[in-house]
Amino acid sequence: MGLRVASGALRPKPLLGAFVALGIAELAGFFVSSRRGPDFADWAALVGPMAEERKQGELVVVAPSWAEPLARQALGDEVFPLRDVARPDVSRYRAALEISALGESAPELLGFRETGRREVGPFVIRRLENPSPAEVVFDFVDALGPTQADVRVTSPEAACMWNPNARVLAGGLGGHPTFPAARFECPGGTFFSIGPTVIADQDFRPRRCLFSHPPARGEVVTRFSGVPLGTVIRGHGGMYWIIERERKGAPVALAVRVDGEEIGRWEHRDGEGWAAFEMPLGAHAGKKSATVEFFVSSKNHAHRHFCFEADTR
Amino acid sequence: MSGVKLTWKDDLIAALLAGVVMALLVATVGDLGYARDEGFYFHAADSYRRWFELLFANPRAAFEPKAIDNAWRVNSEHPGLIKSLFALSNLFLQKKLHLFAMEGTSYRFPGIFLAGAGVGLVYRWGAEARGRIAGLFAAIALFCMPRFFYNAHLACFDVPVVTMFLLATYCFWKAMREGGSRWPIAAGLAFGLALDTKHNAWFLPILAVTFVALCLVRDRLTGGDMKQTARRALAALGAMAVLGPLVMYALWPWIWRDTFARLGAYASFHLNHEYYNMEFLGRTYWTPPMPRLYAPVMTAATVPAVTLALSALGLCVRARARIQALLRARAGKVARREGGETDLLWLMAIGISYGAWVLPKTPIFGGTKHWMQAYPFLALFAGAGVSWLVSVLRVELRRLKATNLRRFARGPAAAMGLFAVLLAAPIAETAASHPWGLSNYTPLVGGAKGAATLGLNRTFWGYTTGAVVEYLNHEVPKGGTVYVHDTAWPSWEMLQKDGRLRKDIRGVGAVHEADFALYHHEPHMLGQEYQAWVAYGTVQPAHVAGLHGTPVIWIYRRKGR
Repeated sequence: MGLRVASGALRPKPLLGAFVALGIAELAGFFVSSRRGPDFADWAALVGPMAEERKQGELVVVAPSWAEPLARQALGDEVFPLRDVARPDVSRYRAALEISALGESAPELLGFRETGRREVGPFVIRRLENPSPAEVVFDFVDALGPTQADVRVTSPEAACMWNPNARVLAGGLGGHPTFPAARFECPGGTFFSIGPTVIADQDFRPRRCLFSHPPARGEVVTRFSGVPLGTVIRGHGGMYWIIERERKGAPVALAVRVDGEEIGRWEHRDGEGWAAFEMPLGAHAGKKSATVEFFVSSKNHAHRHFCFEADTR
Repeated sequence: MSGVKLTWKDDLIAALLAGVVMALLVATVGDLGYARDEGFYFHAADSYRRWFELLFANPRAAFEPKAIDNAWRVNSEHPGLIKSLFALSNLFLQKKLHLFAMEGTSYRFPGIFLAGAGVGLVYRWGAEARGRIAGLFAAIALFCMPRFFYNAHLACFDVPVVTMFLLATYCFWKAMREGGSRWPIAAGLAFGLALDTKHNAWFLPILAVTFVALCLVRDRLTGGDMKQTARRALAALGAMAVLGPLVMYALWPWIWRDTFARLGAYASFHLNHEYYNMEFLGRTYWTPPMPRLYAPVMTAATVPAVTLALSALGLCVRARARIQALLRARAGKVARREGGETDLLWLMAIGISYGAWVLPKTPIFGGTKHWMQAYPFLALFAGAGVSWLVSVLRVELRRLKATNLRRFARGPAAAMGLFAVLLAAPIAETAASHPWGLSNYTPLVGGAKGAATLGLNRTFWGYTTGAVVEYLNHEVPKGGTVYVHDTAWPSWEMLQKDGRLRKDIRGVGAVHEADFALYHHEPHMLGQEYQAWVAYGTVQPAHVAGLHGTPVIWIYRRKGR
């Protein structure tokens, strides 16, 4: 090969320099990107500082969200209770601690005010306050149980029995959410049981809710007694997104009655994902004790893995 | 930047490259868990192996239609050649010769062998077309693409079809370049092998016919010998048309009966393939339209940037040479014809490999492996680019006043120095990617962490179970149960046959039946993780593993177990 280098439109010497620089830059980039913190072992350093910083009931959020399993591994269920990790939204929390890595921040806490920060190795712990937290008076998911709740189906009328030691059942790959050990069991098989579980919403985020598959005919009614009321009943409903993304299922209706009066009716259609509803309590607002009933039904109950959560605030 | 006439030394270099590649792959294969598809192919290969055993013991019985159908019906949605090699490798190299430490390696070895052969062939073609520096760089650059390196370990068809596609294209190139009868026959045979490897081979006739048409246009524009081009093309295309299907037919017993119906079913499976989920830039795609930018963005995010930039440089250098030659020809001067066909063929091979993946209806679930047969050609252009840069460096060295530096203009020092600078990052990235090949991303997108933040797929195929066997062996009580999640059953069983996973650990198909639950992260799989939360009453993983601080697989442990 001769040494004459045809140049044409190409500028040989600068190109040579550019490629040498690129080779070195990519190597440097590799070392920077593969070694920038935090590494797996770094998360354990958060245990002490988080114990000092976190107050009872405060939400802990990790940014970027993909790193959350590492925080959960290091900090455990006390810092990350299931009801917080699979929260419906952040509206009820007065304050949150954000564990930030790589300079990221949590989009869902954008409206919160920063009131403090602390650096721990590659992390920044930020204390954030909710400028307008909702005052939740009663959470229906938390309250499901034989003390305050009962469940029945309407057609034919039958009671669903509370079983605190039912067989836990998980759907496996692509299957249904886990049916928990403590649940109301209705006629028709395990799919027709009411109990708290966690579904993946349209963004595959976890949502804790009451699995409430509508029956073939009539409605499944979950009734809570002695419920103190706020001014609204607010909640969300949806299905494991892989079930509803085909958009082939029938709508699911959710009606709410307070002391026998229907205060609202909401319909969930496939494709809406984890969707919110809010029903004003009108004259019932502020009652110290009321009976609240949730009626779930569908014209075609096939694959209606409906799950809802609600509170009154 | 012209090629060289190959000698025995080049054959030796190609063989050495292939040998080093195979040795490195065999040395690292034990760290890598088994991908879902490998599990299916183990099952198919075992079925075919039993047929081969029958064939050797009782040929008459083996050729009974029922015996053939029973054995070859398994996984008949893919052709039989590579799975036959898996079967024969397991039968002879493992069961008879006990060559490998692990059973699974015997199934993987044919793929490893073909990866080595592919790298060796890249050297040969690069050297023959663009010189030894180009060939050597191209061969190393291909091997140092982290996704190629990962796939090269597997008992799958993706790297085998890269090699077969390359081989068929090379033989076709030789047939067009040299004429005669040897290379057309080789092209026909190689096309048949490619057809019997994977359906990517369907693109080869389109590539060959379009290439011939463009060569004829070129001849017309430049006053070239159209008759000679047509004669050579006819021989090559004819051989491919006749020998290709014959080879495929001969090597795939499944199509010996009901040939057209079974071929139709095979084609239909791939032309109407169902859509699986794939995350791209934070969104999970599962139905058309698929993102048109998927293939180019994923290429940029997973192939070392320096290799891609060198490919672009090589393309520019070659394009300039061809334009100059064309202008000379148009001006009535004699044009140097060599090189034009090669550049065109390489460019078209890249284009046709990516072509399907810019269409919105083409499924993207397999990630980068779908268009991987373009990578040898990207590497070849990169080799051409490096060859040009070495020439530039030599000129610059000769201009230096310091005589002790000027002497580096001669000999291999300049090339070696440039190789070191340009291959350092690809080598480092590839080495660090193991055994997390599908989680690996280049610094261009911030590595594994940057890709996770961007929402690029972190893993699929459930192969990372292999990365947590140490934890399972240590923590699972005797006779304990593990929910295998995305691990295919034959893949799980192979880990146990290998001795990598304790045999008393029982894999189960549901979280509630298990003491431990694996979770391989993909967004659409997150429901599996939530199943474990509710079943075990905890959101705290007992073990997390992944690449560069990015979680890829984690394990839940039932409380009290």
